[in-house]
Parts: sequence; C-alpha cells; structure tokens
Amino acid sequence: MKSKRVLIINRGEIAIRVAKALNELGHVSVGVWTDNETEPPHLEFCQEWVHLKGNNNKDTYLNIPQIMEIIEKYKIDGVHPGYGFLSENREFSETLAKKGITFIGPNPDAVYKMGAKDISKQIAKEAGVPVVPGSTGEVATVDEAIKIAGEIGYPVLLKAVAGGGGKGMRPCMDEKEIKANFEAVKREARSSFGYEGLLVEKYILNPHHIEVQILADKKGNVFHVFERECSVQRRHQKIIEEAPSPFIGTDEKLRKEVCETAVKCAKAVNYDSAGTVEFIMGEDKKFYFLEMNTRIQVEHPITEEITGVDLVANMIKVAFDEPLDFKTQDDIKIQGHAIELRICAEDPKSMLPAPGKIVGFETTFPTGIRFDHCIYPNFTITPDFDPMIGKLIAKGFNREVALRKVRSALDGLIIDGIKTNIALHKVILNEENFAKGKYSTNYIGTVKPQDKVTEKESMEAFMIKVAGIEMSGVNS
Amino acid sequence: MRYYFVNQDMNEFSLDVESKGGTLEFTVEGKKTPIFIRTLAGKKYYSFDEIKWQKLATLKANEALVSNSEVYKVFRGFKPSGLNKGGAGALITQMPGKVVKLMKSVGDKVTKGETVLILEAMKMENEIKSGADGEIKSINVKEGQALDSGFLMVEIEEGK
Repeated sequence: MKSKRVLIINRGEIAIRVAKALNELGHVSVGVWTDNETEPPHLEFCQEWVHLKGNNNKDTYLNIPQIMEIIEKYKIDGVHPGYGFLSENREFSETLAKKGITFIGPNPDAVYKMGAKDISKQIAKEAGVPVVPGSTGEVATVDEAIKIAGEIGYPVLLKAVAGGGGKGMRPCMDEKEIKANFEAVKREARSSFGYEGLLVEKYILNPHHIEVQILADKKGNVFHVFERECSVQRRHQKIIEEAPSPFIGTDEKLRKEVCETAVKCAKAVNYDSAGTVEFIMGEDKKFYFLEMNTRIQVEHPITEEITGVDLVANMIKVAFDEPLDFKTQDDIKIQGHAIELRICAEDPKSMLPAPGKIVGFETTFPTGIRFDHCIYPNFTITPDFDPMIGKLIAKGFNREVALRKVRSALDGLIIDGIKTNIALHKVILNEENFAKGKYSTNYIGTVKPQDKVTEKESMEAFMIKVAGIEMSGVNS
Repeated sequence: MRYYFVNQDMNEFSLDVESKGGTLEFTVEGKKTPIFIRTLAGKKYYSFDEIKWQKLATLKANEALVSNSEVYKVFRGFKPSGLNKGGAGALITQMPGKVVKLMKSVGDKVTKGETVLILEAMKMENEIKSGADGEIKSINVKEGQALDSGFLMVEIEEGK
C-alpha cells in the first residue's frame, strides 16, 4: 500500500476521528486551521497543518476554489470531508473527480442522486422501497405547499431539498403554520446549504428513527453493518443514539428486513463508500425510506462498538481501492449494546445553543467508555459552528449494562464555564420510559425531561467551582 | 476572599473563602464549611469530609460560571457598579448571533409573545419575541448585523 496525502476538510471531533484513522493506516493526515479558529484541537492529531484563509464557513470550509488551490499546492491525493460542510456536495466531489483527486466518500453520481431528496425518493420507489407520501418534486410557492398538504393530510413537514442534520425542517399542523414557516425554512436552507428548494411530506406521529449503516466498495459489494435507533431528538436533531434498536428489539425478522432494504437502496445508486439509509418506522412497525446520508455520520461510533468494524478506516480503504477488513456479510455480527450521548454547548432546559468559553474540564470514566471530543480548558465555542462538542459512548454486554456505564461516565464528566446538556442527559438516563427503551421521536416533546432539569445547582456545587478557581494558581 | 455571583436577571449572592494550608474554608450566610484539597499525580482532588475524594476541575478563568441553565458572572474580591437591568420591554441578545430579519419598525404596536425579529445563531433561526405589550421605542440593529451577547437590540415601551 502506498501512503497517501489526505486533506481533512473539517474540524472538531470528526476531524480528530479521521486523522486518527489516517495515521493508523499509514497515510499522511493534513489538517486545516482558519482565521476564526487559529488553535483547533484537531491539529494535535494531524501530521501537517495548512492555513485555510477566511473567518467564516463560506470563505473556508465551503470554499471549493480555495480548497482546490490547497490540494494543488500541497500535492494532496485524497480529501476526507467528515460530516456537514462539503460532505454531500456534488459540485465538490465532481470537481475533485475531474482533477483525479480521491474523494473519501461515494461517487458523485450517488451523492447527487441521494443528495436531492426528491430524486432519492423516486429511486427508492423504483427499487421497491416504501416512501413517505409527499410532493413529487420541489414546491415553489406557499399555495402549492398548501395544496399538497390538503391532498396528503396534516400534519406535514416542510423541509429543504438539500437539508440534513435537522436544519431547514419544520412540522406544520395547519395551513396557517405553512404560511408562517415557508419563508423561514427557505432562508435556513439557503444559509445552511446554499440551496433553497423545499419539499412537503406527511408527518408520521410517534415514529421511530431507524437507520442502517452501509459499507460498500468500488467492486459492487454492498454490506450493512446493522441498525441504529436515534429517536431521542430535539429540533429534528439527534441527541441520544443506540445500537441495536430497542424498538426492533429481538424481532430478528424485522431487523433483517430493514437491513436488507437498506442494502437494496444503496445498490440502486451503485453506492461505494460508508453511508446511512434512514427509515421512519411507525408504531405498527411499517417503515418508510426517509433519505440516504452519503457521508460518515456523527453516531457512527455505536455501530463500531457493537460490531468491531472500524467504519472510518474502512471508508478510507475502499476510497483508495483497498479491500475491506472483512469478506462477507456473515463476518459482521452484533455483540452487546452501545449508547451515544451527544454533548452539546446548549441550555439543558431550552436546548438552545449557548456558546462560551470552557474554563474547566475533567473526566473519570468506567471501563467500556469511548469519548470522541474536541474539549480542552480555554476552548471557546463560537456561534460559527455546530454546538456539538463531544460524544460520550458506552458499550455494554446488553442495554442495561450500557446504561449503567453511561450513567456512571456522565457523573465523571465535568465541563465548566459553558452551559451543556449534561444535566438533561442525566434526567433522561434515569427517566422510566427511556430506561425501558420505550420512546419515539416525540420523546422530548411529550415526556419533557428538560422540565425536570433544575435551574440552579446546590451551594456546595458553587463552593467546588470556587475551589477550582482558587486552586488554578492564576490568582495566587 | 469574597466571591460575588450575578446572573443575567441581576440576582446575586456571595460567599467567602479563606485558604488555610491544604484546606479552603468557606463561609456562607455565617455558616462555615471546609473543603479539603489534595494533589495526586498533578491533578487536584477535593473532599468535604477527608474520606470521599473527587477530581476537581481547576478553572483557568473566572469570567463566568454556569449552573445547569443559569449563567453567573463571577467577581473575585469586588463587585463592579453600574450593572444595569433590562426589563420585559428590552430585547437583549442571550448569545452572539446575526440579525436575519426585522419584523417590526419603530412606532409599531406589539403584543407580548409577538415576534419582533429573527436572530440566527449556530446556523439556527430563533424568533425573538416581545416580552410585553406596547410600542417599539427604538431599534438598535440592522438586518445582517452581527451581535455579541448582551446587546440591547430593541426597546419596547410597555403598556403604550
């Protein structure tokens, strides 16, 4: 195997995760820093550091011409986009393909077909996969959206064609809400994805978010690495994920059906990398194709933990035409249970982003814990980036053990100086419905664990913080 | 040393701490509580009873402390004067952000809960709503303007 020079066009914990995999595989990891983040923690794991000029995402992580200049200047062989930013941008993967640079991700055609939600739905339909009823293409006007909603019935979901990660998406209960939200979703779509096309589709009540991890090579082999359930969400963004799905539970027939359906979707677009097929599953266990994310996902570690498959390393290997770490579908087996908590810089009650500066950070974890993060004392979280700063992952012999471990880990995770959702996670992990594994994507909205988070800690907690200031040595 | 804590609603409290060798003695409303400190492999540990010890996160800065969903400004040894208070009619940014759209103009009537402007922070749009019934007295921002936390965006004259 020849060592490749790989540019990571991302930041935060995912840039660290990718750099670790590149180093392990013997490639050269090239990381970037920008003018609005001159000391990014991911550079600790990157062998080479490159300046990506600019102080906003449009000029840096989304700036294809500047990235192409860097690729040429630093003789880059391949690019890993991480998640978000240019990870699902067809123009970027096509530009790289034209220059003969390896995009560590699927082929541009698959990105294009699965990236546009209207086309991906059509492809799924043609492959015999059930889809959620909705508009067949982009909806240009409010009146058109109202007309379609009338046909499929309320509630409906307004969402960006190019959307993902919960951005550019809003449910509407009636005509009035469509009128109120249409322009806002468009604006969010334009600012987050650079494209404002919208879709309208049926909103399924009490659904489960079930997704299947796909790993495929360039020779036409498509494997699934089982499912994850990501039903604990706020603002359509996941905060807790687990694998395998507690809703599917011991129903092996259903598990096989869901996973094989996902493989069918991936094969329909000649998929050739790591990716995720997302389904929405109703209370009746009927499931519908939602979308395929043509990138590595935030929650990939829980799949790695229960199967032992290194998804990021394998994604890099297949991109450079090297064989996967396994040969057949039967080589991949589920062992145990894994839970991931997304640690975000946000208010634990309102769940709104709360940027700030981390002034203290300590961890004391039990065995079986993996913490993928980019946290260090003095790290300033700015509004420029997503508020997620770390992922706390626990693996156990079964769900009960994984829960026990993640509860213990959470007690040993101290982040001071910013608001975090740690207090909210503590409430959820001890809440009856979640503990039993009985929850849908409406969990946050109906069970409202956020209401049980106390606003203020005890006086003792303040004394400990003051002790932390007194013992830091900066005041003596 | 006296520590003052002031939250965004200007609620405040204080506590006193005195360092005595390996012990920090706290005094809160006349009640004394010692916290014992030990160093192990370069890390600090604290204990209330010298039996149970836990890792102490040493804080490199004392600009602000957070207690679940409340943020307190910390002042060590002094309390600055001139901390002004915003009423229900003052719309102040709670986090840095960018003004996306102004929904109202000066002189417009608003009702409590009505959206006055849209602020984008961390790629999310947030509707900033009026905290009172009244009339828009002043607008101190423009569309597209980037704002820091604590900025007075709009003033509403209550009851008008």
